[in-house]
Amino acid sequence: MGATIAKLAERPNLWPWLLLTPLAIYLAIFFLVPLVNVAIMSVTEPRLTLANYERVLVGALYQRVFLNTFLTAGLVTLACLLVAYPLAYLMNHSSQRTAMMILLLVTMSFWTSFLVRTYAWMVLLGNNGPIIAFIKAIGIEIPPQLLFTRFSSTLAMVHILAPYMIMNIYSVMRKIDPVLIRSAESLGARGFALFRHVYLPLTAPGIANGCVLVFVICLGFYVTPVLLGSPREQMIAGLIGTQIEEFLAFGMGSAMAMVLLAVTLAILAIYHRRFGLDKLWG
Amino acid sequence: MTVRRNRAPFLLAPSRRSFLKASGAAVTTTLAMPYIAQAQENVLYINTWGGPWEEAAKQYIFDPFTTETGIEIRTVSPVSFAKLAQQVRTGTYEFDVTTLGAGELIRAEQAGLIEELEAPFDGGLFHNGIASHAFATVIAWRTDKFSDGGPQNWAEFWDVERFPGPRSLQRYPARVLPLALLADGVAPEDLYPLDIDRAFASLDRIKDHVLVWWTAGAQSTQILRDGEVDLIGIWHGRYFEAEDAGAPVAMTWNQGEIERAYWVVAKGTPNAENARKFVEFATSPEPLAGFVTQADYGPLNLAANEFISTEDAARMPTSPDNYPLTFEQEIDNFGADIEEVAQRFEEWLAS
Repeated sequence: MGATIAKLAERPNLWPWLLLTPLAIYLAIFFLVPLVNVAIMSVTEPRLTLANYERVLVGALYQRVFLNTFLTAGLVTLACLLVAYPLAYLMNHSSQRTAMMILLLVTMSFWTSFLVRTYAWMVLLGNNGPIIAFIKAIGIEIPPQLLFTRFSSTLAMVHILAPYMIMNIYSVMRKIDPVLIRSAESLGARGFALFRHVYLPLTAPGIANGCVLVFVICLGFYVTPVLLGSPREQMIAGLIGTQIEEFLAFGMGSAMAMVLLAVTLAILAIYHRRFGLDKLWG
Repeated sequence: MTVRRNRAPFLLAPSRRSFLKASGAAVTTTLAMPYIAQAQENVLYINTWGGPWEEAAKQYIFDPFTTETGIEIRTVSPVSFAKLAQQVRTGTYEFDVTTLGAGELIRAEQAGLIEELEAPFDGGLFHNGIASHAFATVIAWRTDKFSDGGPQNWAEFWDVERFPGPRSLQRYPARVLPLALLADGVAPEDLYPLDIDRAFASLDRIKDHVLVWWTAGAQSTQILRDGEVDLIGIWHGRYFEAEDAGAPVAMTWNQGEIERAYWVVAKGTPNAENARKFVEFATSPEPLAGFVTQADYGPLNLAANEFISTEDAARMPTSPDNYPLTFEQEIDNFGADIEEVAQRFEEWLAS
């Protein structure tokens, strides 16, 4: 054993891999084994068949819920981008102090429990909450229903996921060489043209990173849509939970999870072909 | 970002257990780790609902049981039927004893997930579960919205002209379909077996007015207390939480839908002997009376009633005054495959 390690040590390029073994073992036991288990259950529960996949891919309910999941994730990603881009720009172009303050505010929501943030939105958007009170105060007698709609669940998910987008875009913006902007200006680029042809392409990797992260995380959202959304706009994770907890349909739940995983991996693969996954972490 | 964790692999469990032993954790401890089926020390693992439920159970059942038998109790929450199934499947037990509703109980018995038990009192045994306590799904409303009184039955709950306003019901078809039939004019004694198509047709009428299909008990209390909905079908204990918090709410026992909770023992657990002792103790009159009073249930061992004051009994669906107003679920005469109905309900909700 000792000799083997010594031999391995002679080949320096193996060292990094050796350091990875504890992590690899950890992942194999706690991630890979359960995942394979889920994959097996999806074709063996209740008996050896692909029927679960057939139902997931053909059934009207599942199609609708999958479609809704992707629509929601797309909507949330777009909204995050619209919120995050100007904010990241502001951080990049303000004093260090202000940038730190904004960063602190952004990350603060990271430190707050997921459930607390979800319930906070229930309080804010509720019938006796400040927003409805304000709408009534300015003379609208029948205020719109805010809570338990697609609006409220989307808003809360954007709130939860926007930090990922902001930090991705901000880190890319910071690395932009100001000389590039100045030379573009000296060559006559102004206003929107400058943004369109110089700034936007330079920040594109940050946008792509942020979008992929937000989209992929959003696909698996569970608590927020269940607690804040309308019952007609279910997301797939909620349905997987129902299958397993209520119907004990481990096979169906597993098949749905595998389809979700496959789609997520496909998105990551496309991203990898275009940009390279290694860029995802800056 | 799911809240449910996967079943933790059991590799870590032995060290966790010896650590607990070493630290002399002799009191009730919440233990999230499963353990390998093996010869046991004198310990029983009980699956609880956590929160106030567990506090009540600890005070009136767990602690007195430990005092009497010397068997230490550790708890695992929350209650999960799926976990019970997984335990038997894998031989890795996280808990020995849990409570189930009638529907789950029948499925658990059919799937061979629970041990055979004997009746500790008359009428206490049902499909190898021991009847313990009951709760009711009742009609409740906001008194600030309906100052002249709220709906007195489910037909009135369905009447959106007379009682306009957003409503909430539980996202649980086995409970909601009977209510929909009552609302459609079926008499309580003619409910079972259920006319499923008629129930869904009745639900169609109220669908647009149900703002929230609640999934968690705490959520139902919150939306009633905060006035997010004006009317709700809610478990009676959860209703009293809102009332005790001072919310302007009222309820009726009329057409309250009673459901029974049963203690069961996980099939094949090495702790089966202790588990049997526990189930018998938990359903004996005095501990049960204390527990149901504190946790807002009604006792199913009628001998417990002599330990319950009239004032407390008024808050119980099984009390002599309230029980005649209510009706009971008959899951074994449901009239359809519950799982198919549940799938149909989910599809109906999403459409």
